[in-house]
Amino acid sequence: MRPLTEDETKAVFEKLANYIGKNIVHLIDRDEDDQYCFRLHKDRVYYLPLPMLHLATSVARPNLISLGTCMGKFSKSGKFKLGVTALDWLAKYAKYKVWVKPTGELPFLYGNHVLKAHLGRITEDTPEHQGVVVFSMADVPLGFGATARSTIQTRDLDPAGIVVFHQADVGEYLRDEETMF
Amino acid sequence: MDVSQQLADYAAANAAEVLERPTPVELDTGLLAAYDTTPVDADEYKAALEPHLLALTLTSTQALLAGLFSLPTKSSEHGPVAQLADPTFVLPREKPLPKPKPLTKWERFANAKGISHVKKDKKVWDDERQEWVARWGRDGKNKDAEDQWLHEVKNNGSDPTIDPRATAKAERKARTEKNAKQHARNLAEAAASPLSTLDRKPTAGTASQGEKANARSIRKAELDRGMLVSKVSTASLGRFDKSIEGEPRVKGIKRKFETNLGDHASEKASAMDVLNRLGTAERKRAPKKGGSGVEGGVNTRKAVRYEERAAQLANRRDGKSGGGRGGRGGKSGRGGRK
Repeated sequence: MRPLTEDETKAVFEKLANYIGKNIVHLIDRDEDDQYCFRLHKDRVYYLPLPMLHLATSVARPNLISLGTCMGKFSKSGKFKLGVTALDWLAKYAKYKVWVKPTGELPFLYGNHVLKAHLGRITEDTPEHQGVVVFSMADVPLGFGATARSTIQTRDLDPAGIVVFHQADVGEYLRDEETMF
Repeated sequence: MDVSQQLADYAAANAAEVLERPTPVELDTGLLAAYDTTPVDADEYKAALEPHLLALTLTSTQALLAGLFSLPTKSSEHGPVAQLADPTFVLPREKPLPKPKPLTKWERFANAKGISHVKKDKKVWDDERQEWVARWGRDGKNKDAEDQWLHEVKNNGSDPTIDPRATAKAERKARTEKNAKQHARNLAEAAASPLSTLDRKPTAGTASQGEKANARSIRKAELDRGMLVSKVSTASLGRFDKSIEGEPRVKGIKRKFETNLGDHASEKASAMDVLNRLGTAERKRAPKKGGSGVEGGVNTRKAVRYEERAAQLANRRDGKSGGGRGGRGGKSGRGGRK
């Protein structure tokens, strides 16, 4: 476990900025008694409160499996990939959101893209290829993805057209249980 | 016959203008030189340069010639020859002073211990021959032991079968060999000395001990680096080469990370710094005005056009029912649908 280097920090922030934009500031700059930090452990980036960090230092490296919130992992080539475990933080600070109808929840949770027919609501002025967080109509975060069309363009789309490209969903907790941690 | 009148006339006709000098002209007959140290008369110098210089030269030349004729002479087959005195003027040295030779190991040791070393003479006195003989070399005194016609075998239990002549020669050769080795080592050390190779200081005498040590360490680092480079300069980049025992391992650059439990404030500051730079980068990368993603992701120009086309389409429909213009409206309607 170690702090991120500058390059790694940049890679992480670039990915996060795609979903929460300027709200990353709220992840870094927090209240004095609620400090959080980013740590790298076995190629995975964790976001954890400081007291937890102090506790975790007493765990030997091979024994430490996970701590805090896993934001994602670095590939061998140095690229950062956001994981579904980061969904809670993304949902909290998301800039652009997409709500899917109850009929569309299951298809999305099986790893499919969000279709126009399943689109319940979408944030105004969402541009194309923007990272969005997908919610159910009851405001439960289901996953995240990238928009295929801008908000205006979706109006003209036929019902089978893809609105949001799937990137991660909470169904992965079941589907990728073995490889997730 | 009185020729004094003629001589006087001749002298008057050939009289040269010899200047009066307050300080006499100095002569150095050994170098055939005359030095006129009287300051130049500025008025004369300005008024008539050439005649004045000529007069000055003439004065000095006359003084020199007069000086030459006053020297003791020696008769030779070409007539009397003047014997020149030794030169008194000290000429400056043409070449720079030789650099001090690097000290040998023994000289360094002797300096450190304060041993004063007297150089041995090349010749030594031989009592038997009653003459000076060479200490070494041809007919050298160091070959006495092996050249004697009769060798005494001491009765101290030593092996009588050993050839004392050969032993003595072998010992002498060993001494020569040892000295040659030491000489070679001294030469090698002098060549490898930082002062001779790196030229960081012009003279050995002025370099301080610290500078020498520093130069030596630099030299050592250079050699180490050269060795590493040459090691991997094979077709396989040194992969299949045999490793030599005792060779130092190649050390790579070690990664260094921040401490895990360091100062959180500074960590936060650096993260904010990265974030700020990210922001500027994003702004730079943002599409130009009129492209997609401007003004909260809405291309206003496109949106306005879209609305206009829609309005035109509605107009045309209205017009069609009323039998109005059609062609242009249809075209624009298709455009509006995309």
